[in-house]
Order: sequence, then C-alpha cells, then structure tokens
Amino acid sequence: MRKTLFLLAFAVAASAAQAQILPFLSKRDPAQPVVQGIDALRAEFAAQSGGTTVYYGAGSSILGAPAKTVLTAQAGWIRRHPEVVVRVEGYGDSGDTRDHALAVGARRAEEARDYLVLLGVPAAQVSTTTWGNERSGLGRSVTVLVR
Amino acid sequence: MKRLSLALSLALLGTAAQAQQSAAPPATVVEIPPLSSPDSGTRGNEMLQIGWDATQLIASDLGQTTELMPLKPKREDYVSFPEVTAPSFGKWRPLGAKILLTGFVQSRSDGRIAIGCYVYDVPKGAELARKGFVLPKSDWRRAAHKCSALAYTAVTGSPGMFDTRIAYVAESGLGDAKVRRIALMDSDGYNHKYLTTGDTIVLKPRLSPKASQLAYVSFAGGKPIVRLLDLGSGQERPLVPTDAISFAPRFSPDGSQIAFSMMLGPNSDIYVVGAGGGMPRRLTTSPAVDTDPSFSPDGTKIVFESDRSGSQQLYVMNANGSGERRISFGAGGYAAPEWSPDGQWIAFTSRGQYGRRIGIVRPDGTDERYLTNGPADESPTWAASSREIMFARLGQGGRSNLYKISLGSGEAQQVTIPQDGSDPDWSGAVD
Repeated sequence: MRKTLFLLAFAVAASAAQAQILPFLSKRDPAQPVVQGIDALRAEFAAQSGGTTVYYGAGSSILGAPAKTVLTAQAGWIRRHPEVVVRVEGYGDSGDTRDHALAVGARRAEEARDYLVLLGVPAAQVSTTTWGNERSGLGRSVTVLVR
Repeated sequence: MKRLSLALSLALLGTAAQAQQSAAPPATVVEIPPLSSPDSGTRGNEMLQIGWDATQLIASDLGQTTELMPLKPKREDYVSFPEVTAPSFGKWRPLGAKILLTGFVQSRSDGRIAIGCYVYDVPKGAELARKGFVLPKSDWRRAAHKCSALAYTAVTGSPGMFDTRIAYVAESGLGDAKVRRIALMDSDGYNHKYLTTGDTIVLKPRLSPKASQLAYVSFAGGKPIVRLLDLGSGQERPLVPTDAISFAPRFSPDGSQIAFSMMLGPNSDIYVVGAGGGMPRRLTTSPAVDTDPSFSPDGTKIVFESDRSGSQQLYVMNANGSGERRISFGAGGYAAPEWSPDGQWIAFTSRGQYGRRIGIVRPDGTDERYLTNGPADESPTWAASSREIMFARLGQGGRSNLYKISLGSGEAQQVTIPQDGSDPDWSGAVD
C-alpha cells in the first residue's frame, strides 16, 4: 500500500517534469522518469545525510556518536520528504552463525529505526528488515534505503 | 552374541588379522542372496532385475551401519522362490554369516509389485522377522530401505532408519548473485527435487518428523518470515499471521508444534505454535538474542542458544518455557544446537579463534567434544540413527557444501548433491 502511494507521488513528480520537455519526448515511456526519480532522491538523501550506512561495534547494536550524527541528518531529510518511505536494513557480524546474524541485524535495524522515530520521523514512514549474513560486504551495519 | 560370531571367524584368520580387527567395532555378518521372484518369462526377468537392484541397495544401507556387516551380494547366490521362506541353512553356515536376509519381488495384476523380506538367524536356523510391502514399481527403493530396517531392528533392537529425507538449501552462483532453492531428496540422494523457484533468498528448511511438512525461511516479502509447506498438497502459508520477522523453525518430535524465533521490536525470543495454526506462545523473555530452538526427543525440553551472558551459549528449558538452565560454559560461542534423536547428545556449532566447527555435548553439559576442525563448519543435523551428523562446510572461494561425519571416528565425507548446498536437515524415518 505504502509502495503504491509512493509510486503515485513520483508519477505526479514525473508528469510535472515531463510537462517542460513534452514537445521533444512525447512518445517516451512515462515509467522511466520514475526510476530516475528514485535514484535521484536516493543520491540526494545520501549526499545530505552524510551516507546511507551506519556502523556498529562487534556483536553490538548500540548506536555510537558517529552513527547518531548520520541518523540525525537522515531524520531531518526524511522529515522534509513526507512523500517517501524508507527501509532500515540490518546486517550481522561476518562469522556469525546464520540465525544469530539474522537476529542481530534485525535488532540493529530496530535500534536505528527507533532513533529516527525519536527524532520525529513518523513511524509509518520507516520499516525494518534484516539480511543477517545473507548479503555480503556490509557487516555490522544498517543501511537506510529510500523506497 | 554378535561378538561371538565375529570372534569365531577371526579365530580362523590368525593373530595378525585379529590384532588389526580387534580395534574395529564388532559387527554382525549378514548374507543377502539376490531377491527371488515367483514370476516367469519377461515379467519374471523384470522382477528379478528389481530384486537385484533392491539387494544391492539393502547391502549398501546395512554397510553404512556400524552394527551390521553385509557380505557383498553375488548373483550366483540366487535362491529359488520356495527357498525364500524355507532356506537351507546348511548352505549359509560355512560363509560365517550370522544373519540371512531373503526376499522376493512379485508382479501384481493391478500393475503394482509386492516385495517381501525375511530375516533369519543362521546358526539357530530360526526366522527373526518378516515384512511385506505392496507399492508402485517405481517405489521399490522404499521397500528395500524397509527391508534394511527390518534386518537392522532384528539385530540391534533399535528402529532402522534407512527411509529418511534430507532437505537443504541448494546454491548456485556466488556472493549476492547466489541463487538459493529449497531442495529435498532421499537420504541416499535419489528423488532429488526443488521446492522453491530461486527468485528469493530461502534459508533453514526443517522437515516434520515423517517429512510430510516443511518449514523454511523466505525473504519473499523483503524480510525473513517462516513459511510452512505441506509436501503432500503443495499448499503453503506463513507460519504465523503477522508481518514480524521470524526464523529458525523446528518441529516437535510428534510434529504437532513448531518452535521458532520471532522479533518483537529489537528483541528475538523463542515462541511455539501449533503446526495446524493458532496463536504463538512466547517461551523466553530475555532481552538478549534467543534463537535456534530444538526439542528433546521426548518433547519435554528445548535446547536453544542465547547471548544473554555476553556470548552465545546453550540453554535447556522445559517445553513450556520454565526452568531455563545454562549448559555450556566454554570460551567462544556455542550456536545452532540440535538434540539427537536418541536424546543422548546435543550437536552444536562452536565459534572461536579456530573459526566455526561442529561439536557435541551431553544434555547436562558434560562430555563436550569436537568432531571437526573447522574453520567454517556449521548447521549440524542428526541422522535418525543418532550416529551420524550432517553439516555445511564453507570451502575455498565461498562455496558451501554438505558433509557427513560419523560419531565413532573418521573424516567428514562430502555428500553428493547436484549443486552447492547449505542448511541441511535430516528427517526421521518416513512411516
């Protein structure tokens, strides 16, 4: 449901953008600017928040000062963009056993989400998930993803 | 008794052989002449061929046990159909076999076949057990496995566990491009099939005791959720009707309940829910990560892992969540426990400086020992016999494969599967 609303919001944005260049691109597939819109928003989010990913200590889900700085900037941006939803994706420690890593990733995501909500982001705008160790490369972190 | 028969045959072999043999566990020697058939002509030949295949499968089953030692089947040992039920013991005694297994394959007018098996005590000249099965021709392997079980039970008194299934995650590709599918096969590698399509990450398949249902974790909705698949009807549903993150499912020994982990906010706790549905009941309340529950074979207790002490350790509680007790105290971590079907051991994944390796410990926390040296072994699952453990080993280049190791001794043996594999789960005997 959220996703549908979100896509609608972009459809509106896209048609506004299209209006300017309509004479040249009238036959173009209108779905394309939507994809670019997400990417552009994501890029803006990352640039203005000092990054999409925050890191934790080994086995820990406690937010350190650098993590809080990034999340604070992220919260500000998300509050200025009530039309988007974000998802917080948590990762476990590499070397963790599978299920423990899933739980740790989920906990890290919840802690980050709670911090965003504490800073005034509406709870309905933020969902969480965990990748545990099922995706490589990011360990001991959460990534806040604009969707 | 079986020591006696082995000792007798060894006496003939001289002292050198005796010294070599005495280290090996005593085994009961079994003679298996090719299964006979009352049919004649083309049909008879077809039945005899199934019989010969079944004979070899039975020998292979029994050869994997430590208690029985089948003699290599020979086609020239053929017995006539009347001899199946009235063997001439004098013919078999000189071979040193203590046990004789005879049988037949018979075609039926409905297109199915009947397979009968008979187990005899050769020195005594007495029948120990018999069993018959009527089944589609293509299912002859199942009857052969049951004949193996008949002989095993007649000798050891323990249930034979040859007709079992293995579920695992079949993997192809590497890293984030890895495609994962839940796969199911007979424990001897036959009847291999895929149960999911590979378009989403799947983890931790867990079979019900008789392999009629399968619980597994799917990321289809963007986050891990336990799903329950009925293997007969193919119908599938989320285990619990919430969108909370859930994982690490395991059936109770009677198949009526499933224990699993579920997130409530930042907290992972252990819950139990009826396999037929209903409200989940919360069993642990610690703010730590509690996960990987596994029932004791009598269903009264659950072993699980928790990091409430600061590191992952094993705890045992009553099946209603009361009476939690820590049973592991070593350095490093203890994870992913599975209670053995005979109740004597708990297998676990050990975490430490050496990496991850497979260990076993008594349910009271004593007698801890390690079966593998790591460095990337995990997810132990017991054979129904409680004498072997299968596990996943991550090799060079990030590829995971399944291995099997026997409790007695020896090296881990790689299990033959079509692709890479992880998260094995070995069922109890089917039927």
